[in-house]
Amino acid sequence: MATQSEPKPGVRMTEGGRSFSLATAVLLILPLVLLGGVIALFLTTGGGLQLASPVPVEALTVERTVMAPGTIEIAVRNGGPEPLTIAQVIINDAVWPMDVVPRRTIPRLGRATVRLDYEWVEGEAYAIRLLTGNAIAFDVEIPVAFTTPTPTGRTFLSFTLIGLYVGVIPIYLGILWFPALRALERRWMVFLLALTVGLLLFLGVDTVVEALEQAASVPAPFQAIGLVAIGATATFVLLMAITRRQQAIGRDEADRRLALAYMIAAGIGLHNLGEGLAIGAAYNLGEIALGAFLVVGFIIQNITEGLGIIAPVLRDRPSLRNLALMGLIGGVPAVVGAWIGGFAPSATLSVLFFGIGTGAIFEVAYEIAGMLRKDMAKESMPLVIFAGVFAGMVLLWVTGMLIK
Amino acid sequence: MNGLESEGLTRRNFLKIGGAGIAGLTGVAGLHRISAGEAAAAPPHQEHQQEHDEHAQMTVGQVDHQRNGFHPLDLLYDFDYGTVTEENGRTVREWNIVAVDQEVEIAPGVYFPAWVYGSPTSAASRKQGRVVGQVPGPTLRCVEGELLRIHFANASLHPHTLHFHGIHSARMDGAPGIGRGMIGPGESFTYEFDAEPFGLHLYHCHVFPLARHIAKGLYGTFIVDPQGGWPPVDHEYVMVMNGIDVDFDDENDFYAVNTIPFHYQLHPIPIKVGETVRIFLVNLLEFDPINSFHLHANFFHYYPTGTSLEPSEYTDTIMQAQAQRGILEFAYKYPGLFMFHAHKTEFAELGWTGNFEVTVAEGAGDGDAE
Repeated sequence: MATQSEPKPGVRMTEGGRSFSLATAVLLILPLVLLGGVIALFLTTGGGLQLASPVPVEALTVERTVMAPGTIEIAVRNGGPEPLTIAQVIINDAVWPMDVVPRRTIPRLGRATVRLDYEWVEGEAYAIRLLTGNAIAFDVEIPVAFTTPTPTGRTFLSFTLIGLYVGVIPIYLGILWFPALRALERRWMVFLLALTVGLLLFLGVDTVVEALEQAASVPAPFQAIGLVAIGATATFVLLMAITRRQQAIGRDEADRRLALAYMIAAGIGLHNLGEGLAIGAAYNLGEIALGAFLVVGFIIQNITEGLGIIAPVLRDRPSLRNLALMGLIGGVPAVVGAWIGGFAPSATLSVLFFGIGTGAIFEVAYEIAGMLRKDMAKESMPLVIFAGVFAGMVLLWVTGMLIK
Repeated sequence: MNGLESEGLTRRNFLKIGGAGIAGLTGVAGLHRISAGEAAAAPPHQEHQQEHDEHAQMTVGQVDHQRNGFHPLDLLYDFDYGTVTEENGRTVREWNIVAVDQEVEIAPGVYFPAWVYGSPTSAASRKQGRVVGQVPGPTLRCVEGELLRIHFANASLHPHTLHFHGIHSARMDGAPGIGRGMIGPGESFTYEFDAEPFGLHLYHCHVFPLARHIAKGLYGTFIVDPQGGWPPVDHEYVMVMNGIDVDFDDENDFYAVNTIPFHYQLHPIPIKVGETVRIFLVNLLEFDPINSFHLHANFFHYYPTGTSLEPSEYTDTIMQAQAQRGILEFAYKYPGLFMFHAHKTEFAELGWTGNFEVTVAEGAGDGDAE
């Protein structure tokens, strides 16, 4: 086969491709075959290493606790390297009969539900200890006992209302500034864009912190930090690719600014999805206290998100439909998040969403920065930009004081 | 608004609070409400006359006693008299005690790396046809004034001793650094002393760290009968109150008499109305300062340390500090299922609970107790 195409470099390329399909293919597969052999060797002989652990290594993650009158259900996941068996359960210093569904021995990464028939009392605290066959104890704290909400029409409506207040309403209030801000002179529009960058940076850092905080409750094999990195990087690069593609297609500046506004809405939406998840999960954990003052503070802080969405399109004439749609994209995820967090919370999913939100927020901040650079090329106003970014971050920091 | 003042609230904490605020503000607080009916939960308690159904508060499943090598029923009845010979007209009683490392299923499905004593003359070893370790160790029983020889062999991976409560010379005391001191792995030593005073005593390993060596299971009951014996009774039981710290945090996770939590609750001890019962009760609980014994619907005569033939008290509850012990004597007047348990109820709910199943003796009327 090598004789056919010696002279022409162009054909040599093809020839290279052809040999790839034969000899190279073998060379490509050979390491995989050897790998299989090495694995087989290790599985059968241990490869001369002392692989048996002198102590049992077990990890059990509590994913959810569901309380109903007379019963407590604990959903757990085995995050350890070996199957583990839940042998006994002790609740408030009393050994208690229990049932594990589907079975008491949980495979690696497998899930199971521990069920106790226990006449718990509303408002009291419970400490549950799950003992494995190797006598390793895993503790579950129930700081305040109350019936876990089940997906009834009423709780569904409640979570929806929570989401509306947290996400949708503040954002629309922010968007309502649109007609007034349109009348501003150019310098102030640049200021608002810079302000949006500040807001986004603050939100982005906040989202990272949320992700890392949640990461602690994700089973180790799911590598929460890796999920954050993948979610953030993939989202950032994907959004960047979409933006470049739009520019390549050659849409006009106004269209691009509109697209950017949509992307801001989407980034903020992902952030609000995370907030919704947290609210729903907190509701399940009973960590909810009442306070109208806090809700007011919440609306004040999130109104700035609406401002951020409209900042890029102030010099254009986006249709009412576009504005309405952007508000929905930014706000409705809070409702969806509350539903998921309330009815099917998952720390792993939350971490992934927070990661995606981080990538989206930083990418949007990056795009706006690019837009500002273009504006600067026409008329340099570095102090306005500094003031805007600074004001944006301080604005969230100050309004944060109202609610923390 | 509780939680507002909490330190270190993050944005997510705030969200939690904020979310609730919304619930309150929009008048959907009902979603947070639990009806009074749901909340009216009775405290968990045990029915004294409960049948052994699945609602009983106890462990789930059954311990594999065959695998453990010893059975709680044997621990209750088994007195290891060793072997008796005569030397110069004096009775000599000898035992062979071995210390081994042995995994014990301490509660159903929970395995504990115990250190245990075994004896070829214990019921467990005789049944298994080999020397089996057990927790508590074999109940060694002799008569006041006999010469005792305890041949101790250490087959464990750690140094151990046999320290008897009794009256003996310092070099037979089984304490580290005194006499022969610690008996290393693979080594052996014979402890020799006279059986005195009569009463209910105990033995345990005295190697440091002491709490760990005892909590791992190296202890047992040592009974010195008075010359002529105690007055005859229908049943004699040995109950060693102990606890197991399965996760080595120096707190007991399970409590019991004779090691296995709830065993005598699940398998009540059968006696007849009017039959006299003597319990040799020894407290070998580590980590907790005191233990107690409470008998339901009855009173007992209590002989502290068993060193007097006259009871000191007529009661239904006694307490014992660590290594305290005493003899209880009673008979039941009525038939039925009667609990006995630590009146430190935490211990009771973590395993230290049992039942007597009292039935009417054939040919006997009701209520003919002593």
